[in-house]
Amino acid sequence: MAATAAAVVVRPVTPVQASLWSDAWRRLRRNRLALAGAIYLAFLIVVALVALVHTPYPMAGVAVATPYSGPSAAHWFGADNLGRDVFSRVMVGAQISLTVGIGTQLIILAVGVPIGLAAGYFKGWFDSIVSFFVNVFYGVPDLLVALLLVVLLGHPGLDKIIIAISVTRWMDMTRLVRGQTLALREREFVEAARASGAKPFKILFGHILPNALGPVIVQATFGVPAAILFEAFLSFLGLGVPAPQPSWGSMAADGLSAIRIAPHMVIAPSIALSLTLMAFNFLGDGLRDALDPRSRR
Amino acid sequence: MLTRGTLIYISQRLVLIVFTVLAVSSAVFLGIHRLPGDALFNEHLHGTEYQNVLHHYGLDLPLWQQYTNYISGMFLHGNLGESFVNRGVQIAPLVLREATVSAEVGLFALIFTIGLGMLLGVVAAVRQNTWVDYVLSTTSVIGYSMPSFVIATFLILFFAVWLDNTTQGAFYFKIGWTGTYGSIGEIWLPAFALGFPYASIVARLTRASMLEVIRQDYIRTARAKGLRETVIMVRHALRNALIPVVTILGPLAIGIITGGVIIENIFGIPGLGKEFATSILNRDYNIVIGVFTMYAALIGIANLGVDLLYVVIDPRIRY
Repeated sequence: MAATAAAVVVRPVTPVQASLWSDAWRRLRRNRLALAGAIYLAFLIVVALVALVHTPYPMAGVAVATPYSGPSAAHWFGADNLGRDVFSRVMVGAQISLTVGIGTQLIILAVGVPIGLAAGYFKGWFDSIVSFFVNVFYGVPDLLVALLLVVLLGHPGLDKIIIAISVTRWMDMTRLVRGQTLALREREFVEAARASGAKPFKILFGHILPNALGPVIVQATFGVPAAILFEAFLSFLGLGVPAPQPSWGSMAADGLSAIRIAPHMVIAPSIALSLTLMAFNFLGDGLRDALDPRSRR
Repeated sequence: MLTRGTLIYISQRLVLIVFTVLAVSSAVFLGIHRLPGDALFNEHLHGTEYQNVLHHYGLDLPLWQQYTNYISGMFLHGNLGESFVNRGVQIAPLVLREATVSAEVGLFALIFTIGLGMLLGVVAAVRQNTWVDYVLSTTSVIGYSMPSFVIATFLILFFAVWLDNTTQGAFYFKIGWTGTYGSIGEIWLPAFALGFPYASIVARLTRASMLEVIRQDYIRTARAKGLRETVIMVRHALRNALIPVVTILGPLAIGIITGGVIIENIFGIPGLGKEFATSILNRDYNIVIGVFTMYAALIGIANLGVDLLYVVIDPRIRY
């Protein structure tokens, strides 16, 4: 009896050293939907990278198959109206979607984070100006402004699309970072840093930003599918990436006009697009729950 | 309800809409006129013929004069100029008619969005943590992850192509409009496609705020009084749960109006969105400006409508 009791007591209780990030990772791993999303996205990135060096058929190669022919062993997703291999084009489309999604978020991070930090920290007239512009941009219909920008920027191209989307979607990130900064700047550790003579730059990027990183990552994760959706809309209307570059949106538009005779033309890019958006949204939901357990609804 | 304060508020907002329209059309006018290229390029006109056409459109005047002509024409005569491609076609009546068509589709989509979204949200909240709730929650994530044109595509595949094939053409959805305005039979599918992503968002919000409300004391009081559960849910819970939902109606209205651009092009609806895509691809810049002007007005009016709706739903709000 005594021996077993002793054994129970003696069992070593090593305190688990869990940092915020390893804790978050543990919570994220338990969320199966988020994990499935992450795995799908990893797969998609591999596909996009492979498409850089190799596609089964050239993405603009006309008449590599019978036009409108359905899926077969040689052409998994069938062929389109010009006899191009739809599978190869969906692969390159992944590359375009990810470039737009990630590129847009990088610009928005580079612009929105510093502006939001400065507005929240310094307040005053700078904050008033930033808040004014954020509100103005929230009031305008983003899709229409992006459409107009694409027209006004002249020749269509991936870079123009990324700029147009960034201009219309920067304010979510700015508002988020500003709000976080407004709350964090009153905290003791910021006061301590200020008391020890840290420069504003050091306080903003060394103390405030790392503490606001969780929500920023979540926001960026939700921003990627929003940008991808925008690009698909623009391309669907014929204002996106120029032909023969295959965007999922323009492929769906091509397919829609042949929906009776070749439904695979519209189904393949539509499913690729929906899965990608869904994966990002599930991952975003999972990251939010993992990084900020209090916000669990 | 229509007090003096409300009327003053409405007139202030209308003035604001006029200024917004002015700002939007000025920005688009100046932006478009900076573009290289020529709407008349495809006509291969030369010499005096070309000069005559330029003069006809006032394009031979200096830019500032074109601008003042345009703005004064718009405000004094309701004139938005003439199409570059279809000579002689006046833009103002054209886009005005198209705006009402877009508004028709948008209104149907909005009713559908709110109706379905609220219904699903309430059901999910009442049956919280049952399989009904899980199915509805997962569906709503799928719903807002699917772009409206993907939803539209699958609806067409099912209702137009598959139904036509299986019923030998006896019963299927005919795409495209026969008249200027759509009938219920023509409009329900586009409205469904347009509203579905937003219905998912409304459902999520309704569920969350219902869950909060049904834990309140006054709901317990209502139960203690012996009221029937449906009465409690609809009259006591839903009304208060609606308040947070109403706040997204503004972005929702904008989303439905802009989403209409895609849906109108897919379903061949002769609205602003279809005109917009066609005129941009045709470089019919006068129409592009006109369409943007109409969109600015439409969005301003939709936002005003939403703000007035707040008063109906939340009696605490007064203007």
